Amino acid sequence: MADETKAINPAFYKNTLLAGLWRENPVFRLLLGMCPTLAVTAALKPALTMSLSVIFVLICSNIVVSLMRNLLKPHLRILMFTLTIATFVTIADLFLKAFLPGMSETLGPYVPLIIVNCIIICRAEACASKNNLAISIIDALGMGAGFTLTLCVLASIREILSTGAIWEINIMPNAFVPSAAMSMPVGAFITLGLLLGLVNAVTAKKT
Amino acid sequence: MDTLSILLAGFISIVIVNNLVLTKFLGICPYLGVSGRIDMAFGMGMAVTFVVTLSGTLTWMIDHWILILPGLEVTRYVCFILVIAGAVQLVEMYLRKFFPSLYESFGIFLPLITTNCAILGLCLFINLWAIDNLLEAVVLSFGAGIGFTMAICIMAGIRENLNLADVPQCLKGAPITLITAGLLTLAFMGFAGMIR
Amino acid sequence: MSKITHFIQQSWLLIVAAFFFGLLIAVTNAAWQPRIIQNEENKLNNLMAGLITTAQKFEIAEKQIELTGEKGKIIKTDIYKALGADNKTLGFAFVASGPGFADKIKLVVAVNQNFENFFGFKVLASNETPGFGSKIKEEFFGNQFENAPAKKLILTKIGNEEQIDDQIVAISGATVSSEAVVKIINNFITQIKDKMQNKD
Repeated sequence: MADETKAINPAFYKNTLLAGLWRENPVFRLLLGMCPTLAVTAALKPALTMSLSVIFVLICSNIVVSLMRNLLKPHLRILMFTLTIATFVTIADLFLKAFLPGMSETLGPYVPLIIVNCIIICRAEACASKNNLAISIIDALGMGAGFTLTLCVLASIREILSTGAIWEINIMPNAFVPSAAMSMPVGAFITLGLLLGLVNAVTAKKT
Repeated sequence: MDTLSILLAGFISIVIVNNLVLTKFLGICPYLGVSGRIDMAFGMGMAVTFVVTLSGTLTWMIDHWILILPGLEVTRYVCFILVIAGAVQLVEMYLRKFFPSLYESFGIFLPLITTNCAILGLCLFINLWAIDNLLEAVVLSFGAGIGFTMAICIMAGIRENLNLADVPQCLKGAPITLITAGLLTLAFMGFAGMIR
Repeated sequence: MSKITHFIQQSWLLIVAAFFFGLLIAVTNAAWQPRIIQNEENKLNNLMAGLITTAQKFEIAEKQIELTGEKGKIIKTDIYKALGADNKTLGFAFVASGPGFADKIKLVVAVNQNFENFFGFKVLASNETPGFGSKIKEEFFGNQFENAPAKKLILTKIGNEEQIDDQIVAISGATVSSEAVVKIINNFITQIKDKMQNKD
């Protein structure tokens, strides 16, 4: 019996971790967390900062929710999730203001908007409140990694096309004419739409 | 007269020039989810307008009259989101009691309004723009809701027609909606700078 | 009594959690708040030092003086005095703000001690259109203010941007942002010059 569970566990963990990256990628497949995706992906640096903050909040809130999962009363649980997430987002915001003030200004009001980021609440509801601590943490890592991947891809495309640089390092030849539209809402929506279409096409071909 | 013109300018600015969905990337999730049909979109828009006006006003009051006390500023986010959750709960109870059929047709979307970035976003923007009188906060919140409703209804209208168009398979659903939203933002950019 | 016990039974977790989280936030805030304030002061000091390069330190000359903003609202700002070696007053600097194309623009403006010429300005915070309005942070625009006369400046669409006078050439494609900056500076310099010179 003990051997069986031990055999299941590593594979299950790996599965959960990889799921967040591709099969159940929060932005591309589950269509969650759109707002920050569009807002902060104008350049790579803010996108990375935002996704690291989301990973931090996701892990912390999953841990706390998983620890309290047996004590939650059903009709108060959304309130508990919200309270937990709001606390950790406040901490993350204070951290950014104290140690990365430049990034905090660029991200502006989108850091507290992590509170209403559907990804975190959905994972708390769907996973952390029903599973033990280890699985919750792994799930948080997987989802966070998937979110980071998506944000960085989107941000790289937008930054290269709108300023010819990536992470503020110029890489495009001088002949390249940057398109400022990419850093504005237009570019965000269209790039995400096309990327989503691409992902759909790729996964459709597989099945 | 001066106050009236400031209020009017603020209202128009947040409905058209600084539309929350199309220029500030807020409220995208329900925007993509509910804009399938015009009647659902309008219903969602109205519910959001009600909640956002209520929350915008309440959070402004809390921000200006309670959070000024030393040391409490840091609890701003927690307070705001709790007020919003409470407001949504209130709307839910009200609808369930007085308009049960409407409540049924909303289904899951009503509690989902809590996680609507637009509402928390608006409360934070009111805080960021340092709006210092209550009437302006109320007008801006109401305007934000109207702007959201307008954006979502325009989108619903376009999507209903898009269903009849020949969209490539991989682009059907969310992708083509996003691209359409992008073109809409381009159109609305024309209004930028109209009101300062 | 049973209603209260029922209430507590249902929500004890919420109350305990709220208390615990509140404590967590308070501790974090207390730990990092001094650093946050320091960051903001550093930013302002760095920008002012960038404008008045020979200054050794900055002191507050006037705290929270009241000015009328462009829309008629009262804005409060601090005026800093730049002191050089042996405490000579080299100039004054202040934060000017006003509406821009997209959002509020905050500038740090520096003038020399007689309020005759600008040292220049730097952008403290702005949210202008990237690629167009954001060019107010660049040298083409900023250099025109160096040593410009400290009086009402005029924005022109064409002209010689190398010539230092009271005419400022707008950034092509960013007329509104350029005009916003000039308006903000004009509004603040006229009122501050008035207040400071009437004092002496």
